Amino acid sequence: MVLDLAAVASRVRQGMIPAHVYNDPEIFALERDRLFARSWVFLAHESEIASPGDYVVRRLLADSFIVARDEAGVVRVMFNMCLHRGMQVCRAEMGNASHFRCPYHAWTYRNDGRLAGVPFHEEAYGGEDGFARSGQSLLPAPSMDIYNGLIFISLDPGAPPLRDYLGDFAFYLDFYTRQSAAGVELRGPQRWRVRANWKIGAENFAGDSYHTPHTHASVVDIGLFREPKASKRKEGALYMAGPGAGTTYKLPPGDLAGRLRYVGYPDEMIPAMVSSWSDAQHALVADDGFMVSAATLFPNLSFVHNWPQIDERGTVAPFISVRQWQPVSERETEVLSWFAVDAAAPERFKRGSYQAYLMCFGSSGMFEQDDVENWVSITDMAGGSMAHRLNLNSRMGLTSAGTPIKPPMAGFSGPGSARQGFGEFNQRHWLGQWIAHLETEPARPAAVDLGRAR
Amino acid sequence: MSAGRPLPYGDPAHQAAHQFLVEEAALLDAADYAGWLGLLCEDIRYLMPVRVTTARGAGFDSLAGMAHFDENMYALRKRVERLATDHAWTEDPPSRTRHFVSNVRTFPAGGAGAAGGVGGAELRVESSLLLFRSRGDTREADLVSAGRTDTLRPAGDGYRLARREIVVDESVLRTQNLAIFL
Repeated sequence: MVLDLAAVASRVRQGMIPAHVYNDPEIFALERDRLFARSWVFLAHESEIASPGDYVVRRLLADSFIVARDEAGVVRVMFNMCLHRGMQVCRAEMGNASHFRCPYHAWTYRNDGRLAGVPFHEEAYGGEDGFARSGQSLLPAPSMDIYNGLIFISLDPGAPPLRDYLGDFAFYLDFYTRQSAAGVELRGPQRWRVRANWKIGAENFAGDSYHTPHTHASVVDIGLFREPKASKRKEGALYMAGPGAGTTYKLPPGDLAGRLRYVGYPDEMIPAMVSSWSDAQHALVADDGFMVSAATLFPNLSFVHNWPQIDERGTVAPFISVRQWQPVSERETEVLSWFAVDAAAPERFKRGSYQAYLMCFGSSGMFEQDDVENWVSITDMAGGSMAHRLNLNSRMGLTSAGTPIKPPMAGFSGPGSARQGFGEFNQRHWLGQWIAHLETEPARPAAVDLGRAR
Repeated sequence: MSAGRPLPYGDPAHQAAHQFLVEEAALLDAADYAGWLGLLCEDIRYLMPVRVTTARGAGFDSLAGMAHFDENMYALRKRVERLATDHAWTEDPPSRTRHFVSNVRTFPAGGAGAAGGVGGAELRVESSLLLFRSRGDTREADLVSAGRTDTLRPAGDGYRLARREIVVDESVLRTQNLAIFL
């Protein structure tokens, strides 16, 4: 099939999704060259590299990066390729090191990326004239920026500041990643590969409250989680803000502390939440009665906040997960799933929250298990020729004329726009950003010559 | 990794432990999860760390504070209860699984000098496990390779599993989820 991108874009803008986009190598190549070559993409959290010398190695599609805290405590993100012959400099995925030494010819780099050692520099190169060692560094990520400890990179050296990119979504991000001045700590990630297209998970977390009552019926059946029943799920608000969108649950009546207690936060944590969040953030919970649940920050970083029962006595414990849908190919995704918890939370809370996470999400989580089954199946079906003859309906919440069947909520305390009940506004919001990237010609960045002839 | 010498393969305690693991695998392959729960102690800890690739000298090769499974009896019962509902889509249609158990070595858990023989002391049992998992008609099957270290506790009519640590041999799992037990 020859891809007709303009036709795909026109369908997507009408809320129709050509089914083949979920398993199409031509679409995947465009995503690689036009979307992931430009967008801010999450790599790691500062808590994963807490001490000088700590590092993790993470990928952005096929590109491997070392994310390290240097001796001065500064976060550095470096392309993991030796400047000399292109070896992967660091082949471990985490650890602590003052230097990285390439196994091939022993070129050695400090943990801030600077080239520190070239064996036989004088004999082999004639010293600085033949190859100027000073001033050389592993290639830094073209752009790098941090919000609430979340480290993002962009392959576009002209990317806007991350905070500008996040825009109004930062308001919602704080519920997951700034429950106290200490911020969150991330543990993990669990990593596993699923034979599903990466977009499906991203869209699902952005706004699919409609799937919850049925896909996750089993967790209600067994009394693990009270909320996903359709009767409760449709009371939640769906919000879109900046490059992100998410779902919420409507909580029973109460004030801020009462509602935080309802989802299982202990009294010791509540004052820090109160002081970390703004009046509008308080009001979303206290006045509007909404608690954030799933969300996606475009393109492939998702969040979830649920509050299952973790023992026979019915103890409710909330957990937060940060997860990334790392594209491997048009039909395979590596899921990276972290458990996130307020760094200042009592140990007892951290234990219960971790238990809640493991039961619900991640490689063994009982919610996630059924999600992935669906996504693998969609990807399977989208790989044949009939998928080119079917445009899926993603118009939930719109009349045939394209007007919303109900207006945005008035008086919703969060920024962006919000609607109560089921709808695919958020998925269309996500797909709108996706298709805009695919329609934008890629930049052609210049390559760096390493010590060329002068 | 293991301290001391394993019991001789002819030792009745080793034979009982080996048989326990093979019978357990038969229950799992038959998806008789209620029967499987019956083999577990009420205070079981069922742990599967996340393995990571680290330098040889790093001194660790699994994540701290995060696992694939870190379960008590409540969590395992919930998982089994869920699989028994009509809505556990990920295992309906069910996977076809085969738990291959081999390289079984049994150690007296009571330390040096603890006697062999059935009954009496707890046993530490190490085994290799290869799980074959097939879903649907044409999907490539999944393989999960792991080593296991179990604590078997004597019970009136045999042994019960008191602790299991599953050390998986991959850093990135290549199976869509862990809706199965290892």
